[in-house]
Amino acid sequence: MKQITNILKRTILAATLLTLGAATTRAEDTPDDSEPIRPVLSAWTVGIGSSHLADTYLTPLKYSGWGASVGYERMQASPWSPRDWVMQLKVSADMDRTQNPAHNATMWAAQLHASWGVMRRWSLPCGLRLGIGPALRLEGGCLYNARNSNNPASAKGAVTFDAIAYAAMDVKLWRLPVTLRYQPSMPVIGAFFSPEYDELYYELYLGNHSGVVHPAWWGNRFKLDNLVTADLHFGSTALRLGYECNWMSSRASNLTTRMITHRFILGVTVDWISHKPSKKSVNPF
Amino acid sequence: MKITHYIYSALLAAATLLSSCHDIPEYADDPRGNFEALWTIIDEHYCFLREKGVDWDAIHATYGEKVKPAMTREELFIVCADMLAELRDGHTNLSSPWETSYYRQWWSDYPQNYDGRLIEEHYFNFNYRQVTGVKYGILPQGNIGYMGYGSFTSIVGEGNLDAILAYLATCDGLIIDVRDNGGGNMDMVKRFVARFITERITAGYMIHKTGPGRDEFSEPFEYHVDPAPVGRMMWTKPIVVLTNRSTFSAANNFVSIMQYLPQVTIVGARTGGGSGMPFSSEIPCGWGVRFSACSVLDAKGNTTEFGIDPSEGCAVDLDPVAALEGRDTMLDFAINLLTQ
Repeated sequence: MKQITNILKRTILAATLLTLGAATTRAEDTPDDSEPIRPVLSAWTVGIGSSHLADTYLTPLKYSGWGASVGYERMQASPWSPRDWVMQLKVSADMDRTQNPAHNATMWAAQLHASWGVMRRWSLPCGLRLGIGPALRLEGGCLYNARNSNNPASAKGAVTFDAIAYAAMDVKLWRLPVTLRYQPSMPVIGAFFSPEYDELYYELYLGNHSGVVHPAWWGNRFKLDNLVTADLHFGSTALRLGYECNWMSSRASNLTTRMITHRFILGVTVDWISHKPSKKSVNPF
Repeated sequence: MKITHYIYSALLAAATLLSSCHDIPEYADDPRGNFEALWTIIDEHYCFLREKGVDWDAIHATYGEKVKPAMTREELFIVCADMLAELRDGHTNLSSPWETSYYRQWWSDYPQNYDGRLIEEHYFNFNYRQVTGVKYGILPQGNIGYMGYGSFTSIVGEGNLDAILAYLATCDGLIIDVRDNGGGNMDMVKRFVARFITERITAGYMIHKTGPGRDEFSEPFEYHVDPAPVGRMMWTKPIVVLTNRSTFSAANNFVSIMQYLPQVTIVGARTGGGSGMPFSSEIPCGWGVRFSACSVLDAKGNTTEFGIDPSEGCAVDLDPVAALEGRDTMLDFAINLLTQ
């Protein structure tokens, strides 16, 4: 029994290292070499920080305030060529509350983001691990300015193909293993929603949908997300500390939107292995 | 690592370059900055500058001279409010903590030809029904139904309309009194009109600005009203819509649609207009500004911003002497028209 437990521990450790946190280390061979175990790294995070919003459909003024977010991230080696490719799913929700420079009007923003991508990864001799690949991202939300009459809200929606990348490295903080990561992501092409210049949503509601979907490229919708995390490992669980800066500027139909958020991130990551009885596995459950 | 360096340099350059393409002009929070911000908002968004023949550049010169660096907020507000009054638009306001500017001449220069008490007391002896925002009953002067609707902001449900029209179903004609109705919800307009049509009609057209240029407008978008669903109470008998100068905005839109229905006659005085759907914005000191940004045309493509005239031969005013005797001469005219 003790031997089985030891094998399990070693396998989990090796498989965890196989994913994002330790792409340089190969998992131990399973009894069936064609299907290595692909552990999942799941992270749940909350973030809080400052927000800076501008949307000329609602107001020509720039608003500033605070915002909060919750996020979920899932990383796993891909089913094909698992040692070279990793999949990443990210889902997050943001809420911002900002005020105009005179502090007599409030603008809220609420957004949902979801992206799924794959990254090719490499390990450099210096211990640095790099990954880069494409992702499909969906975003939707709304800015709301309560003082406005017929234009109180500005809906946001986009579907984009992004370029995502990461650089990760394992270090020691005294005796505590820490995985440092920097991950930028940036939409390259896609489509996004914007009403026309002074078009009321009532007109959209009546059926005039022409000209509201715009092809997205860097010239009319530039977005760059930067994420820096430090995972402090305590066994298969880690405490995640991080910082995220999301920067977006778009212009369509002579309307400009700008959203800049800074978040300090706190979260938990867990490494786990899914067990499928139909597959051969070293998992002894 | 050189490649990485080049990539980040390119990204940084791209971000700087592209963000500068999406600039948002900023104005100082001082008298001059606030004045320029307000003038620019109207210049770029107001939809009736050409239609009203407003020389907005000349107005900038006239009122810009009055803006002084040392002037108080109250003094600046007066200058800005006077400038907005040049638009002659009841949908245009400037809101500060102590006052909301309002162009009143669109109604104050005309007679006040509606007195609700006159009808309630002398025609119904206070014996009328009231549900949500509608006062209704059968006029004893003839078998004529009466609906007085004071504001399209009052939500009238489909069930309310069923009840009202069922109660009035035996009448030979219907008077819909929208005098002093200052407007409200456009969906309420459609809900009312849907009871008086038997097939889909063109309600009108909407035009919005597509850019900051003074002539940048969208193609007119045709919108419709469909009859109320089967099972709802409908009215296809003659209708008189009573109007006055204070019939404004959504109420003006209601008249603009009803005027083309074959069984409808418009009686009273020219409506107040207000066909521009208002947008809101603000200037650096935090004052809110509201203005017409989207023009709603009638079913023939005509503007109704300046009001809608009564049907031919149906212009009538409230006689103040008759009113003292308890008679609403506009209502009497409508009753006679329906009972003839």
